[in-house]
Amino acid sequence: MKLWYFIMKRLFLMVIVLFGILVLVFFIAKIIPADPVGALLGGNAPPELIDELKHKLGLDKPLIIQFVDYIKGALKGDFGVSLKTNRPVIEDIKEYFPATMELAIFAIIIAVGIGIPLGIFSAVKRNSVVDHFSRIFSILGVSMPVFWTGLLLLLLFYYKLDLLPGSGRLELFIIPPEPKTGMIILDALLEGNWEAFWDGLKHIILPAFVLGYASSASIARMTRASVLDVLRQDYIRTAKAKGLPKRLVIYKHALKNALIPVVTLIGLRFGSLLEGAVLTETIFGWPGLGRYIVNALLVLDYPAIMGGTVFIALIYSLANLVVDITYAVLDPRMRI
Amino acid sequence: MKRLLVILLLSFLVLSVFSAKIPKDTLVIGANTGILITFDPAQCYEVLGAVITSNLYDALGEIVVKNGQFTVEPAVAESWEVKEDGKTWIFHIRKGIKFYNGDPLTAEDVVFSLKRVLKLRKPPVWLFEDVLGLTEDSIEKIDDYTVKIVVSRKLAPNIVLSVLSGSWGSIVNKKEVLKHEKDGDLGNAWLTDHSAGSGPYYLKVWKRNEMVVLEANKYYWRGEPPIKRVIFKDIPEENTQYLMIQKGDIDIAWNLTAEQALDIKEGKVPGVRLVSIPAQQQEYVAVNVGWGPFKDPRVRKAIKLAIDYEAIIKEVRKGLAIDNFTFLPIGYLGYKPLKVKRDVEKAKKLLAEAGYPNGFEVTILTNPTAIRKAEAVIVQSNLAEIGIKANIQLMQASQMYTKYRQQGHQIIVAGWGVDFPDPAAQAAPFADYTAHQLAWRNMWYDDFASKLTKMALEEMDPKVRAVIYNILIDYWYENGPFAILYQPVQYWAVREEVKGAEEAFAPYNFNFLMEKFHK
Repeated sequence: MKLWYFIMKRLFLMVIVLFGILVLVFFIAKIIPADPVGALLGGNAPPELIDELKHKLGLDKPLIIQFVDYIKGALKGDFGVSLKTNRPVIEDIKEYFPATMELAIFAIIIAVGIGIPLGIFSAVKRNSVVDHFSRIFSILGVSMPVFWTGLLLLLLFYYKLDLLPGSGRLELFIIPPEPKTGMIILDALLEGNWEAFWDGLKHIILPAFVLGYASSASIARMTRASVLDVLRQDYIRTAKAKGLPKRLVIYKHALKNALIPVVTLIGLRFGSLLEGAVLTETIFGWPGLGRYIVNALLVLDYPAIMGGTVFIALIYSLANLVVDITYAVLDPRMRI
Repeated sequence: MKRLLVILLLSFLVLSVFSAKIPKDTLVIGANTGILITFDPAQCYEVLGAVITSNLYDALGEIVVKNGQFTVEPAVAESWEVKEDGKTWIFHIRKGIKFYNGDPLTAEDVVFSLKRVLKLRKPPVWLFEDVLGLTEDSIEKIDDYTVKIVVSRKLAPNIVLSVLSGSWGSIVNKKEVLKHEKDGDLGNAWLTDHSAGSGPYYLKVWKRNEMVVLEANKYYWRGEPPIKRVIFKDIPEENTQYLMIQKGDIDIAWNLTAEQALDIKEGKVPGVRLVSIPAQQQEYVAVNVGWGPFKDPRVRKAIKLAIDYEAIIKEVRKGLAIDNFTFLPIGYLGYKPLKVKRDVEKAKKLLAEAGYPNGFEVTILTNPTAIRKAEAVIVQSNLAEIGIKANIQLMQASQMYTKYRQQGHQIIVAGWGVDFPDPAAQAAPFADYTAHQLAWRNMWYDDFASKLTKMALEEMDPKVRAVIYNILIDYWYENGPFAILYQPVQYWAVREEVKGAEEAFAPYNFNFLMEKFHK
């Protein structure tokens, strides 16, 4: 099968998945026995005002008509106007997404930077001190709640040691760079605004580490298992037998194959970093998409919930698509 | 690689040493700003947004606290008079007030702003329509500095003044707002994150979920405030706020837990003090009078007697609450303390008399915040002591209120915030079912309570009004479906070097006098 045919097939499947999500999200939002308008207006609002606003928003129309309107809008990239912020949902997403993206990129760099070397070392030196340390590190990473790690690190590095800042993306009195990409560190770099660049970097370290740590743990475990698996293969034995140095065997022959499943995991982790950062965003005052969606959930701001969910599903599917394509390029068997 | 790491670490150390402290003319407030929706006074209705908005604008009157009581003082209107019919009001507009862009404020702006609330029909509109009975025709400009407002019925003066002086009564700059009108929205979209007022500050920038920055208005008619810039920094987590105020990275922490507040109050946190006021809300338990056993007033009374109010205040609020069991916040006209004591034996006796010697099974509905859950659990164990088996059902607030509005609950644990500082704002929801609010949701269709509430509304003499509320409170406690658990205390952590916080926060919930701050 040709590569482009494979890509087309994946794209087609992605469209189906996204449509399914659109439908699912709409009906879940409608099934909840709660009234978004009442939630929006608060506990004190009189019933007449609620009915009036419902009518204005078209929420008293039959469900099927609401559904058709919603799908029509969604196909044009229009998820309607957020009940809470009064702005088009897509505008809100544009505002919050860069912060989430920036955090996810740094987190995945940290996760990969820690996870892969740790996994390799502990596979190569199985049952050594390094291996035990790495396994404890992984278990902690997987099992410690992000909330807890975040607070502990804040207490240590901000409160006690005074090394890193406490909250937000930038110090209040530092002039931020002109937003081009919306990612402060990148914008500061493009503009040559070094003060903002350093400060942005200082601000992102803790939240990125907290987020990245949890992912690094699973990456390390996966790398370890995969490297161990490959090391048992015949061709490794052959390589060893023909007298190649151990270093060369591991880095040149074993790693390339061992890392294929790890690539998948990294792709998936990256996807989940984009939507799973709510708690980290809350502790570190990071103005990202996760908090936007959770705030929307609390007041049942259903255009924002649906728009946000579909957007994240889209990003997640794209990340998956990239992984699949990388995979297909790396391993021709996948195209079958 | 190692060298690079060392260099990185060193540069952080160096940068940390030079990290900027807060300048003297700047106030940084750490708060969860994720709840902000808009700064358009005709739309804004949540407390944080409203108190910020009240600093961007002036209204006809200003809500302040004097001798522990809310009162309305002249602001945009330098004086007012009410005609003998008790309905027609004349407001004399103060000359010389300027908006922050330098335009003069006149009667034209006042009429435009008040009519704008009615035209936009956003959350605060019911205060103008339902409480005051205003229509667009009832607001009229007499001359450049005189405005006539006619309310639909005779109303106690404090009701009219306190409703008109809320943040929704803010006067916007007509010329400026209409310049930014889009599709006939009367500038609603633009005013979401801009301001066009004459208050002590103007809105410099609102970066959502990051910060709100206010700058001093150099034309402010009472004089430019000493603090030139107020920044609300978004810190959603109370633990982070707590750490940051101790380090001096913020001047005020807005959202703290009761434990943290208690530590500050007891002087355990150097450099930080606690400022507190009685919160303008009531926490309550209500039973649905339309449901089974609760139709009998003796059962309702038994529930009120069974609840351990002291334990709730101590356990849930760490003592940071007032043992006020009436629907009126402490200090309001007509407020009288109710002596409510737990009496399990009497409660059991009442249940037996009503025909439930072995109790019954019931569901307590509430929403899953830490406070509500803790309250529901205590109430559950209190009811068990008199033989009532209560199950707790948790629902997100949005779902819970939907069910509540449909009168679908049996017992509910919830809270109610005061909408404007007058006893009428509380009596109507809690006692008058025709207002379609709390009394109605709990199916307490009591005509006597409703009649008393309406009488007090129209009574022009405050002394007589106070007596009516006194009678209403006693009747309501004996017969109604509510057990008020407590009136919370609202608190903020403030750094020692920040002066004036006590005055600034005094009228909180309705007003927040930022111009009182100085360092």
